[in-house]
Amino acid sequence: MADGGESNKTEVTSYCYQCVAGPDLLKVDIQDGVPVRVRPNDEAAVIHPAGGKVCVKAFGLIQKTNNPHRIRTPMIRTNPKKGRDEDPGFREATWDEALDMIAGKLRSIRERGLLDESGFPRVAASFGGGGTPTSYMGTFPAFLGAWGPVDMSFGSGQGVKCTHSEHLYGELWHRAFTVSPDTPMVELVVAFGANTEASGGVCGVRRHADARARGAKRIMVEPHLSITGACSAEWVPIRPKTDPAFMFAMIHVMLHEEPRERLDIPFLRDRTSSPYLIAPNGFYLRDPATNKPLIWDQTSASAVPFDTPGTDPALEGTFTVSGLEVGADDESWDHKDIECRPAFGHLVEHVAPYSPDWAAEICDVKADTIRSVATQFLDHAHIGETVEVNGHILPYRPVSVSLGKTVNNGWGGYECVWARTLLACLVGGLEVPGGTLGTTVRLNRPADNRWTSVVPGPDGFMNYPMNPTRKGEWMDTSSSRHAHRTLVPLAANSPWSQALGPTHLAWMMQKEGLEHLPTPTPPEVWFVYRTNPVISFWDVKSVAEAVARFPFTVCFALTHDETNHMADVLLPECTDLEGTQLIRIGGSKYIEQFWDYQGFALRDPASAPQGEARDFSWISTELAQRSGILEAYNSSINKGAAGVRLFGDGYDFSLKPDEPHSVEDIWENVCRAASAEITDGAESQGLDYFREHGFRVKEFPRERWYLYPAMVDMNLRFELPYQERLLRIGKELGARLHEKGIRWWDRQLEEYEALPPWRDFPGMWESALENAFDVKIGDYPFWVVTSRSMQYSWGGNAGLQMIHEVASNITTHGGVVMNAGRAAEMGLSEGDRVRISSPNGSTEGALILKHGIRPDTLLMVGQFAHWTTPFARDLDTPSMNALTPMLLELTDATGSGADLTRVKIERIGGGK
Amino acid sequence: MTKWTIVADLNRCVGCQTCTAACKQTNATAPGVQWRKVLDFEAGEYPDVRRAFVPVGCMHCDEPPCLDVCPSTATLKRADGIVTIDYDICIGCAYCAVACPYQARFRVDTPNQAFGKDSQKMRHEIVRERPERRSVAQKCTLCVDKIDEGLANGLIPGIDANATPACVESCIAAALVFGDADDPDSNVSTLIAENRTFGMHEELGTGPNIRYLYSGKDFPEGSTATLVPNPIGQASVAPRHQHQWDWRAASNFVFGGAGTGLFTFAAVAGLFSPFLWWAGLLALAMVGLGLFCVWLEIGRPWRFLNVFRHPARSWMTREALAAMPYFGLGALAVLLTMPWPGFGAGGWVGLPAAAFALMFLYSQARILKAAKGIPVWRQEQIVPLIVTTGLTEGMGLFAVAALIAGTSASWISLTMAALAGLRWLAWRSYRGALAAEGAPTQSLIKLDAGPLNLSAPGQAAIVALALAGLVLPGVTALAGLLAVATGWAFKFTLITRAAYNQGYAIEAMPARGAGKPAPGVKPGWTRA
Repeated sequence: MADGGESNKTEVTSYCYQCVAGPDLLKVDIQDGVPVRVRPNDEAAVIHPAGGKVCVKAFGLIQKTNNPHRIRTPMIRTNPKKGRDEDPGFREATWDEALDMIAGKLRSIRERGLLDESGFPRVAASFGGGGTPTSYMGTFPAFLGAWGPVDMSFGSGQGVKCTHSEHLYGELWHRAFTVSPDTPMVELVVAFGANTEASGGVCGVRRHADARARGAKRIMVEPHLSITGACSAEWVPIRPKTDPAFMFAMIHVMLHEEPRERLDIPFLRDRTSSPYLIAPNGFYLRDPATNKPLIWDQTSASAVPFDTPGTDPALEGTFTVSGLEVGADDESWDHKDIECRPAFGHLVEHVAPYSPDWAAEICDVKADTIRSVATQFLDHAHIGETVEVNGHILPYRPVSVSLGKTVNNGWGGYECVWARTLLACLVGGLEVPGGTLGTTVRLNRPADNRWTSVVPGPDGFMNYPMNPTRKGEWMDTSSSRHAHRTLVPLAANSPWSQALGPTHLAWMMQKEGLEHLPTPTPPEVWFVYRTNPVISFWDVKSVAEAVARFPFTVCFALTHDETNHMADVLLPECTDLEGTQLIRIGGSKYIEQFWDYQGFALRDPASAPQGEARDFSWISTELAQRSGILEAYNSSINKGAAGVRLFGDGYDFSLKPDEPHSVEDIWENVCRAASAEITDGAESQGLDYFREHGFRVKEFPRERWYLYPAMVDMNLRFELPYQERLLRIGKELGARLHEKGIRWWDRQLEEYEALPPWRDFPGMWESALENAFDVKIGDYPFWVVTSRSMQYSWGGNAGLQMIHEVASNITTHGGVVMNAGRAAEMGLSEGDRVRISSPNGSTEGALILKHGIRPDTLLMVGQFAHWTTPFARDLDTPSMNALTPMLLELTDATGSGADLTRVKIERIGGGK
Repeated sequence: MTKWTIVADLNRCVGCQTCTAACKQTNATAPGVQWRKVLDFEAGEYPDVRRAFVPVGCMHCDEPPCLDVCPSTATLKRADGIVTIDYDICIGCAYCAVACPYQARFRVDTPNQAFGKDSQKMRHEIVRERPERRSVAQKCTLCVDKIDEGLANGLIPGIDANATPACVESCIAAALVFGDADDPDSNVSTLIAENRTFGMHEELGTGPNIRYLYSGKDFPEGSTATLVPNPIGQASVAPRHQHQWDWRAASNFVFGGAGTGLFTFAAVAGLFSPFLWWAGLLALAMVGLGLFCVWLEIGRPWRFLNVFRHPARSWMTREALAAMPYFGLGALAVLLTMPWPGFGAGGWVGLPAAAFALMFLYSQARILKAAKGIPVWRQEQIVPLIVTTGLTEGMGLFAVAALIAGTSASWISLTMAALAGLRWLAWRSYRGALAAEGAPTQSLIKLDAGPLNLSAPGQAAIVALALAGLVLPGVTALAGLLAVATGWAFKFTLITRAAYNQGYAIEAMPARGAGKPAPGVKPGWTRA
């Protein structure tokens, strides 16, 4: 085993956190020192939301570990030229040579300063998989923390491959970095492209299977019949990117076609901004004395501050009132006896035009279908009912709307998230049992606790750590190459914020800078781990060209791949089944990870390192020592950079800061601190305990799945429906940018609407493509979309034969999926070799015909088109990442795009 | 008694293939071999489309066709219902693979090497090498070792993970449930009693023991799957061309049928005229050549004697048993009638061998009929068709032999004509039955294609030529050659090109949650 462990084990406990829907707790069977089989850790059955089961991707770890194509020694590039067509000429090197080479660069940077002439960090790092690599990189976060500023803005897919709008607006509105139905109680889910059965991991699959078994209903609204669509009661094929219109029409039905008593009026009145009076310039009318927003109290027939006790706030009506209106940059208006309406009244008026008949034409869905979905939503809402959760009497609202990728990022993403969250509010179903829940926080602090992240902010809402927009506070540089603090107030400034900025701007600016931003520079040292942006980002050709210009790239490498093809040094790290690490589990996490327990799980090596592979923590320690930051590195570990703070009340397992520690010693101390933390200092077992048990947990009270009790405790409101704060920061941001002369972000500023209107979102793609490429959009008659794959997503496993083999049983893998009827009209047959071209690029592959896809839409599942990764390069599978352009015009205000574009299809050969 | 059964809840299954992967890893199966897998079905036309995921594998049938056909007794059914394979006995003839209507059986002739011959063998492939499994039949064992070991340790299969098949143990949707269907209180019995279930291809009488659970609310009893003749997008579930038996197996039916037919007519003719010893020798050689070809095809050729182990049920054993006296008595007849000094036995000498030739021929017909996995083989009317074409081909060859020997008799022409006519009737009856009952679309296309088939014009020409032989000497031999050519072409097509397997079908597209079920589909099947 790694680090001198035993070699006669027959099984070890471990985890799989290859995707954001993990971790799954597992056991690995070992035969003659070789890991041969992954299986569920049945001892975790009682504590795990999916009975301790393990996702299909985890079974790939055996082939991953024993892979014949692994990089087995450090390697150093000999060909100074970089590019797809350049042979890197990697030669084998010793660890000493490779580490000294990297440390030399790092020491040189420390001597010259951590920031370059543009103010950007000279060191950059990119990690894939929505943050999951931290579960495999041991103490590397401590190295990064000790180092100082590191640029994480070179994205590997975030922004276009994630639910980006949900991440930002979700955190703003209900501490919901990701959003989930309360699946164990829900009766009706309306899912807009949320492919939970493919991307929700074992917890998502199990919870929804249980829901179906008890008769819950899911209506799937999406252009193609996905895995999740297959598992739904109904499929509604909607035109791509028109989802906001569908949801707006649902809101219209609820506000204009159904009686008010079908809504949860008390929730709207007490837990939302619905009663706040809106002044003529669109901002709240405020009490001049306290600056608090005013409501109209029907009892006293007067306008009073929103938090006045004993009031009966009006939601609708027009009232003659006086007060103060405060706009952007403290601009204010003193209003006397003006006519004002509450926010809810404005909402009612706002959605008046958005009838189902209006939406039907936009969405290509019958008006009756939309109307039926809306009324079913009300039918299942159980307005007025309650349920007990651990002694808490909470509202019971078993209806939810979930949003998928592409629906939920890029233009239209804001509107979808707003409408979805508003639909929950209308029935009082936000953050209550059965309803729509956030899962975790990443931008607010503390990251491991949604309840304690609920901090009172202005106007009766939760606080939110916006990047400043006020004059004198706004930051015209961001210490990141994508300007996330400059351009995206909602991106905040947590350790996750860089990854949630407009990551494609970092890549775009490597080609051409944006006016009035610092001159873009490549990073002097770029670390890459568990990501392959040359395959996984959009417009992969441009990304590859940028990567080729980076002067010094260090890739932690499993096998050769398209990104490390451009690397200067390859480092073989102990991969999933060879390294040691302790991670946090449980609580409520991404996607559908809602546990009744929380604690820690150990990744215990199932195999000796292959070749010269080294544990990531060993590599991190060596790099820290050789680059002269060992003390800061050890201190960073002590402060919790390895996942657990090593000291607390009554215990201290801190590492001596001034000396290097072995991997075993580091994790021994981490395990002891974890034991102490979980037992409030009563116990302090180390690695041996975790090796024997695999995990250690304590209860996580179920009421903490719901934010509602915390909101009630602090008498806070959800900031819906009216977005006064966004309106203000949008105006402020615009002013700041304009003061600096920046006009290229004006379109994004339009998203800062108090009540978002429908825009022609599909048309925005069409016109952006026409403008950027001088094409006629009519020549590109199809939309192309993508879909996640349970077998592949986030796994970085396209090079594994077993994964390919089992994934092939799902027939939409391995080609481009097209409507059978449309294909027949065009004379195309199953298996034909086709070229799919967008204005930006083309990709080729086999044609797969299905009835379950719109005639105007093509589908490419997963991310392929590898050209050097062993095995994957022979799969001959098309990828839409060659087709989607990175365009400022297709970047929304949060800095994300959406994974779709317009294409044409042509036959280039017969079937095999 | 115990009857281990899997219930697969189609409302729960999401097609994730975790069971597929867990099975592969637990059983160290070869690349491409999936004892358990989950199918991806689509039904309907846009926009009214359904998609369902259906776990399949060995059904551990109540009446396993694989067991009946196995000539070596390698396949057995345990008292608890598990169908097992003894790798040390199996000869690798793959008869079980074509007999299984669930495509559950595999034969792999090379060691596991997932990344191909050009890559290094992986460590787990080395330590989990299973040479005893090479070139013999393999399939799902229901993880019988886990069950037995679990039971021995007081565990309950289906409840305790360590006594439960890996697919069920790993199922993330709790869609797969394992238990004892003979115990009325078991988990599976309860599910079966309280829900609508179906078995796949139940009409074949196999009694499959994977029961598919679906909501039957609003779904009429006795619904049958809709045949989808042109299964666009359904290649993975539609009938596929079987690759287990190729030209080598076909040769046995080609030469075995014609050879036994030839010997039969040589022997019958011997009652009226001298036994044509060289025709008899040719007939023996033909059957021998056919069997040699089959021997070339089996995975473990040096275990060929195991073919005799299952006379009670296997028509392949019976074919082999008939071959022995056929060769012995036939050789004796040839020896006795050869123009050697002191020999010259009477014509009757061929009759005992001819009796075994007919048994051999009949066994061949029954071999195909017992192959339940191939719809165009298992059809009832295949038996008279295979027998009549064997006899017709034999008669055709005999007509040529008679011409060479200089004998001509009107009975040869008349018999030739009659047999060709009978064969055509048998073909028409067979083809009509396929049309009525339905068959894989591709099988029918292949059977009907080509100039050398058994359809009316060609066969009428043979009859006409044979009758013309009454007045024109030698023309009967021409008819005979044509009869042989069409018969051989038919059988070669039947065994190879037209041999599409059963494919998969489901009785109902399951309701999902509060949704409704819909009629199932049988992709790639047609009635025509």
